[in-house]
Amino acid sequence: MLCEQCGKKQASVHVTKIQNGQKIERHLCKECAQQSSEFSTGIDFQNMLSSFFEYPQTWGQKARPKQGCPVCGSTLTDIQNRSQLGCSQCYTTFDSEVNTLLRRIHGTTEHVGKIPESSHGRIRLERQVQDLREQLQQAIAEEQYEKAAELRDQIRSLEGQLDGKEG
Amino acid sequence: MGIGDAIRRALSSWTKKEGPHGDIVLGTRVRLARNSKDVPFPGASSKEQLQSVLDQARSFPDVLKDEGSFVFYDMAEMDALDRDMLVEKHLISPNHARHTFHRGVILRSDEDISIMVNEEDHLRIQVLFPGLQLQQAWKHASRVDDCLESKFGYAFDKERGYLTACPTNVGTGMRASVMLHLPALARVNRLREVLGTVSQFGLVVRGLYGEGSESYGNIYQLSNQVTLGHREEEMIEHLERVTKQIIQSERQAREYLSQPERRLAVEDTVYRAFGVLSFARILSTEEAMQLLSDVRLGMDLGFIHHLDKEILKELMVMIRAAHLQKIMGQNLPPEERDKLRASLVREKLNPQALKKS
Ligand SMILES: [Zn+2]
Ligand SMILES: [Zn+2]
Repeated sequence: MLCEQCGKKQASVHVTKIQNGQKIERHLCKECAQQSSEFSTGIDFQNMLSSFFEYPQTWGQKARPKQGCPVCGSTLTDIQNRSQLGCSQCYTTFDSEVNTLLRRIHGTTEHVGKIPESSHGRIRLERQVQDLREQLQQAIAEEQYEKAAELRDQIRSLEGQLDGKEG
Repeated sequence: MGIGDAIRRALSSWTKKEGPHGDIVLGTRVRLARNSKDVPFPGASSKEQLQSVLDQARSFPDVLKDEGSFVFYDMAEMDALDRDMLVEKHLISPNHARHTFHRGVILRSDEDISIMVNEEDHLRIQVLFPGLQLQQAWKHASRVDDCLESKFGYAFDKERGYLTACPTNVGTGMRASVMLHLPALARVNRLREVLGTVSQFGLVVRGLYGEGSESYGNIYQLSNQVTLGHREEEMIEHLERVTKQIIQSERQAREYLSQPERRLAVEDTVYRAFGVLSFARILSTEEAMQLLSDVRLGMDLGFIHHLDKEILKELMVMIRAAHLQKIMGQNLPPEERDKLRASLVREKLNPQALKKS
């Protein structure tokens, strides 16, 4: 791959930036990258993050909550300056701001992956039951009755466990 | 004993072993970000809070005893060179080596697993395996995660998943990546096309040492961009599928380069690289990496047989500044490092040449 700037040397620096919500990719040689100040190492990622935090118009000065997080004391300005949230409670304190942010970064606000067993066993079981129910519908639709019967048994046994588990 | 042997023994197992698709995939990494629900994230914690997390982490080797032999290290008690060596081995972040107070690292004896304590998040669990082993690496990381979860109440939310300091990691907290050696695609000028396509599939390409770092020696890291909205297995499978496509492109490019009408030109590059590495007296990291990449391509294409295939991975870690300075047991100016780097590489590639000189 040749450098985009000079077109002569091999491109050895590759950076993806998000600028005003647009993804920009650049491939430069070492020399051209050093001349272009935006490529000083480590800064880009920070800029990209800050831009995520700055973007939402709904964070206008009027709408912005003045109060900080009751646990860590961080205000929205602190969070923006650090490009980090202060504690797990911040996620609740700044609920709607966080959701705007998550949608911008991930395109969604909903986690569907792993759930910790020891503290959230119930949610984990519920999720498993939900998955199995979907598989059961599928099996019935495909007329795989033997498989459907197995799935039904599994669901029953998990529901039994759910009843035995509180909150 | 040669100068390289002392630290060769200290290398992580992933650099010494060849894994599946090891001719192209140098290594696989899965990293999980986890936090305590009781303490603010490290960036907003008091010294006392950071210390309490660090103290808790001291007991983790015991908690993890079914997963192997782990040792806890306080970063502030570690020598600066040793910290930099951990960065060069990809076991901790550069940031973790620079800011050491109330920070720790837990390493498994083979260094396949490392846990950073009080980096950006309270815990960063990392599994690093040779070759393409995404499923295995995820399973291992998840098992370590299960062990720690029972002792360390995680910040977890039903809707948003694992909560992290930076919202780019929230959800699964998982960053899975593969380290790829793509010399043939680079040579046929197809890298840009291939790596450009990758970003349309929700993946990110970086150089050898992370964001904005340079891609020495045609080595690239490929990882998932988002951490929320997909199951870990799904993300792993997706990354694996794209990686296999790239492997296939690289294999085709290698095939193309070994056809009779092109073979001689490639062979020439490979042997020139071998010649320079065998006799040079001064080598920069950048030059050494490019030449080592050429030599490794020569091994993969069957021109060079007498060298160990893992020499690229070993040397790419051993020739870095901290490793070189560790050999000499002192800080060295860049010129001295370039001399030492050249003699280390000479010894590995061409021991006879070293003796005669
Ligand atoms: Zn250039
Ligand atoms: Zn907070």
